[in-house]
Amino acid sequence: MPHIELAAVSKSFKTNKVLDDISLSADAGEIVVIFGPSGTGKTVLLRLIAGVEEPSSGEIRIDNQDMADVAPEHRDVGMAFQNFALFPHLNAFENIASPLRARAQGESQVKDGVARVAKLLKIDHVLGHAPRELSNGQKQRTALARALASSPKLLLLDDPLRNVDAKLRFEMRLELPRLLRQAKSTVLYVTQDYKEAMALADRIAVLAHGKFVQVATPQDIYRKPATLSVARLFGDPTINLAETTIGDDGTIALAGERLAVDPSYEAWAGRKVIFGVRPEAITVRQGNGTGLKAQVMAVTPLNERTVLLLQTAAGAELLASLPSSSTAIPKAESGVEVTFSLNGAHLFDHETGAALTGGSA
Amino acid sequence: MSSELVLQNVDKIYGSGAVHAVKDLSFSVKPGEITALLGSSGCGKTSTLRMIAGFETVTKGSIALDGKLIHTLPPAQRQVAMAFETYSLYPPLTIAENISFALKAQRLASQDVGKRVKNMAELLEIGDVLNKYPSSVSGGQQQRASLGRALVRKAGLYLLDEPMGQLEPQLRAVLRGRIKHYLREHNCTTILVTHDQTEANALADRIAVMEGGVLQQYATPAELKVRPANLFVGTFIGEPPMNVFPVRMKDDGDRIAFMIEGGEGQNLVYKAVDFSDPLRQRLKREPSLMLGVRPHAVHIGGQGLKARVVTCQWLGDQTHIAAEIAGRTVVSVSHEQISAKPGSEVFLSIAPQELHVFTSGDGAAIAHGASLV
Repeated sequence: MPHIELAAVSKSFKTNKVLDDISLSADAGEIVVIFGPSGTGKTVLLRLIAGVEEPSSGEIRIDNQDMADVAPEHRDVGMAFQNFALFPHLNAFENIASPLRARAQGESQVKDGVARVAKLLKIDHVLGHAPRELSNGQKQRTALARALASSPKLLLLDDPLRNVDAKLRFEMRLELPRLLRQAKSTVLYVTQDYKEAMALADRIAVLAHGKFVQVATPQDIYRKPATLSVARLFGDPTINLAETTIGDDGTIALAGERLAVDPSYEAWAGRKVIFGVRPEAITVRQGNGTGLKAQVMAVTPLNERTVLLLQTAAGAELLASLPSSSTAIPKAESGVEVTFSLNGAHLFDHETGAALTGGSA
Repeated sequence: MSSELVLQNVDKIYGSGAVHAVKDLSFSVKPGEITALLGSSGCGKTSTLRMIAGFETVTKGSIALDGKLIHTLPPAQRQVAMAFETYSLYPPLTIAENISFALKAQRLASQDVGKRVKNMAELLEIGDVLNKYPSSVSGGQQQRASLGRALVRKAGLYLLDEPMGQLEPQLRAVLRGRIKHYLREHNCTTILVTHDQTEANALADRIAVMEGGVLQQYATPAELKVRPANLFVGTFIGEPPMNVFPVRMKDDGDRIAFMIEGGEGQNLVYKAVDFSDPLRQRLKREPSLMLGVRPHAVHIGGQGLKARVVTCQWLGDQTHIAAEIAGRTVVSVSHEQISAKPGSEVFLSIAPQELHVFTSGDGAAIAHGASLV
């Protein structure tokens, strides 16, 4: 039995339909990341579940109980937000203690509860500080500690790492899974950072235009994107795309040449498609072979990888990404040959953007 | 057109000596070279940029472009093209008029101007908003227009201040490549000011890392990673950041052991012959050290440190694994897709060539790759 279930939930503000007939369920202890660009209704969804907003239609069930008539404070939900939302007049201890006090727990229980989460989040040394005396990282940890303090069955985290610097965000990304496992809560986690989504999620629910486009494991989202838009949202650099028509022999026309990528493409012979290939699925070689000929326009290192901007004779651009340790990194302005690995090549319908191939061979 | 820029012993002191923003800064940018000034806020990079542009006086020292001292000239006479973070496009002009504004002064034929504006707009993917006004396009488009306005004109030096902070992620990688190619093709001497090391690494030939008004190191992106001058540069450059452990070194003649402090007897042990003699002499004098290892140099498997997996995260083109050794987290990065179960035990191995050794005091680098600096 799922712990939380959304059944055909819609939400409109006046004539603006923000969430359109969405359904989702999460098992107890599962981490589901709600992912999408800003303005797609992610925060509204969390507010509906928390009970501070009511759905226009549809049902929200927690432990198989309809939440329609259950007040927010009785839903056993913990929340943390990107702007921290700490009470400015309370010190860190009292901020973390507030959900425990709301449940009228005894003083020693409150102390123990705060101490437990403060230690977990490494803020035990700043519990006496007012929010204004805390660094952004400490504020964010305090907000998380407050959400975790009452050991809620359901945790709603609204982009909690948005306003902390890159180093701390990385550190927290590594730490959070353990914290969340220890909390044993079911987690709905909102973010617009695809790396955060892949790193933290058991499953990712991709939200666009008020609907879930795909709900799947990080592995499937990346390797088997359901649509062109999902493929474009995951990966850095973004997947390369080209409009083409599948030939009778299954080859595709790309940058003025006909390429045989996968014999199975024959099934869509004559169809207008969008061919997509991930930058890391491109192999670059120097010398004379059978690959697509291209010129290296620029070499731009990206952390431990190196990104190449390639241009074919017909003027089409391609991005390739290689490990920086690779001995095959060509110089700018040199000529190379390009081949594609199937594990990272995709076909999408030209009209609808729906995936035609699974991608993972 | 390209010129050499030379800063010599430049100081910037604000007010009556209260804020010493830039301290004795000397570096040069070769003709056609792309240099990034990189640092966090308050490091002195923006003061440096403003002194080069002429918006700020130089307290001490000199700035020369193409052999001529420019630091006392008004901004307009410095032959410097600029794109700033705050866009500062002219609101009553269209995007096209904004980009072509500087070209008018160069008395080019109008069809020539039109062609150059169009090419620049295509390069920056703003061809479809050329006839719009700045207020009706997105922040990212305004930023690209501001960049186009700077790049389209001829100048001795191009100053780009956080030029891509607002760029849409789907465009970022392509535009980085195109801009780098454009700067090369036109042999533009360029200074890029940024707090984002990803941008600096992608675009720059050399990066000047600044902190506390002081130039920490000026080197190629590869050199900064392989041979950081100090612990600050070592931990500042690189994503994910370098792993750092306080260690004590023991050399028994055959073997060299680095004992991790608080590491409950966990030692990194190497053959002494893997380390150069001068380094061994130096380490004997200074047994208390900071040991740095880049995440991609920490390999899972083999012989080495016993660790417990905390997290294993696959990001599509790389795997990040965090493991714990006696309460300390070590991060390992692989280009492969690896699965490691949280809670399980693994062994971490680190080759001696991958070690960075710093003093525990001021953090100056002592050794990289088992050889004395």
